[in-house]
Amino acid sequence: MNPLETRGKSRIILWALLAGALILYGFPFLYLLLTSFKTPLDAIAVPPTVWPEKWTLENYVSALSREGVVAALINSVVTAVISTALSLVLAVPAAYAITRFRTPSGRVFIVAALVTRMVPTIAIGAPLVETMRNLGLSDTSFGLALAHTTISLPLSIWLMASFFEAVPDELDEAAAMDGCSRLQALWKVVLPVVGGGLAVTAIFAFLASWNEFLFALLLTSVRAQTTPVVIANFQSQFGLDWGGMTALAALYSVPVILLTLFLQRQIVAGLTLGAVKG
Amino acid sequence: MRKGSTVASNTPQIPVGAAPAAAPMGGAGHAPATTIRRRSRKQLSENAFAIALMAPAAAFLAAFVLWPMIRFVYDSFFEVSPFAGAPRIFVGFANYATAFASEAFQNAAVRTVAYTLIVVIAEFVLGLAVALLFTALGRRSAVLRTVFMYPLMIAPVVAGLLWRFMLIDNFGIVNELLYRWGILSSPDQIQWLSDPDIALFSVAIPDIWLTTSFITLVLFAGLQNIPGDVIEAARIDGARYPRLLFSIIIPLLRPVIAVALIVRGIDAARAFDIILIQTDGGPQGSTTTLSLLIYRTMTRFGDPGLASAMGTVYLVVMLAVAITAITLIWRPGSSAR
Repeated sequence: MNPLETRGKSRIILWALLAGALILYGFPFLYLLLTSFKTPLDAIAVPPTVWPEKWTLENYVSALSREGVVAALINSVVTAVISTALSLVLAVPAAYAITRFRTPSGRVFIVAALVTRMVPTIAIGAPLVETMRNLGLSDTSFGLALAHTTISLPLSIWLMASFFEAVPDELDEAAAMDGCSRLQALWKVVLPVVGGGLAVTAIFAFLASWNEFLFALLLTSVRAQTTPVVIANFQSQFGLDWGGMTALAALYSVPVILLTLFLQRQIVAGLTLGAVKG
Repeated sequence: MRKGSTVASNTPQIPVGAAPAAAPMGGAGHAPATTIRRRSRKQLSENAFAIALMAPAAAFLAAFVLWPMIRFVYDSFFEVSPFAGAPRIFVGFANYATAFASEAFQNAAVRTVAYTLIVVIAEFVLGLAVALLFTALGRRSAVLRTVFMYPLMIAPVVAGLLWRFMLIDNFGIVNELLYRWGILSSPDQIQWLSDPDIALFSVAIPDIWLTTSFITLVLFAGLQNIPGDVIEAARIDGARYPRLLFSIIIPLLRPVIAVALIVRGIDAARAFDIILIQTDGGPQGSTTTLSLLIYRTMTRFGDPGLASAMGTVYLVVMLAVAITAITLIWRPGSSAR
């Protein structure tokens, strides 16, 4: 038991405080969900109500029937999957090299990878517009996935390095004794051990792409547009369709929120790794 | 392992792992000369192998981060027409002079710092409070930790729009509830997003809502690592909770706090979509931070040269802060790696 754990009557007050904090914290998304089930007119009623007077799927139907919305949802999935795969393929060998060989080049590399996290997105996004045009990748999911990988790759390297670090060197050595080459040792022995870490890294790479906005805004226009851009366009393009916006936002967020419920241990591990260890 | 017997004959030739790779270098002095030579050759090949494994990722980052960044900085020395194919004129540091002289740039820089401070301070205070609550309540509160985590998964665009919807002047639920509970005298008393004096605070709310859980999770994990006897000893010495918090808990958590705040600070300083979606930089430019100003200068005012100069200053400051922070706290070369 943690020595900071409180006993006795004051626990009741603490529970009440925590419950209050959680209600405040949970309310915004609950309100989004409730609004999405109101009629479009009730959604913008003055004064607003918390609870829908009439439950309806009208907002969902109208949001999904808008031009480009379904395509944008598909684009979001495609882009995020490509970007996640690319991040893992590039990050795993790099992180393995950094943690296993501890060469000066590896140290330079992990610092450099961390530093890229600090670069303002616009400083990369604007020049990438021309790069993608030159590569013939303007307004394609692959081009956008490449851009998203600039965000997820440094993160993936950092996370994978932390997971590899936890695997004792002896495991590789034992594999080498048994005749595995270094690459075989990585592929057949070490990688299965860090399977959980690989999953965590994949989740974070996926989320980075799923939620990204600025690259998507700059690099796509019609064909490859992802959902965050479409959600943002709801207000200008279709007038003030708050009902439709809340429906699409709910559709887009609920799957990843469910993900946190099912994979919470892995996600907590990913979020706190490095920060606590380092 | 399955292939062990078939490749067993190769084993002696495989250098890696045959000798203790992790042996400290200082021990080499006692080893025979041949061992030293073999070891140095092995290190050479290990180095080459390590570089080969890092090369794809390095090449990717060079092509899609470093090269665009160089081009961005390069553009800052030119007057660039927004139209493709138009001539670019070398102007030296003129764009920088324009940027530094421009009031918009100065104000945006101040706002960026203010926004970052608002977000980081609020998240730290709230995050620490909730982490301490979870710690005090122990194992039973574990389920609720999950609930607390959910905003981390939400897109900043969604968070921004949702809060804009909740704070909007005439039909926002926040003012309506405050009015119903008797805190406000009229439902439109606080003009969250249209009063220039408070808009910068209001646009920070979704950011705080979105990522306070990150600070909570990190600090909570750190709190679990505080040695129990230190706390017990302080308790026996009669230290009360505030004293315990400020003299023991916070100092012990210092490295964790520093990393969490730096990570969040850097993200807050780069905040873009969450502000764009709520106010588009208004009212009266009161929420135009650097990233918004650069974006506008680039796309709407069509002056990529000036935008690049502003961006370069921003970039240099961010990198300087980041590198200082990394070398001071993470020390990837020494302790962690």
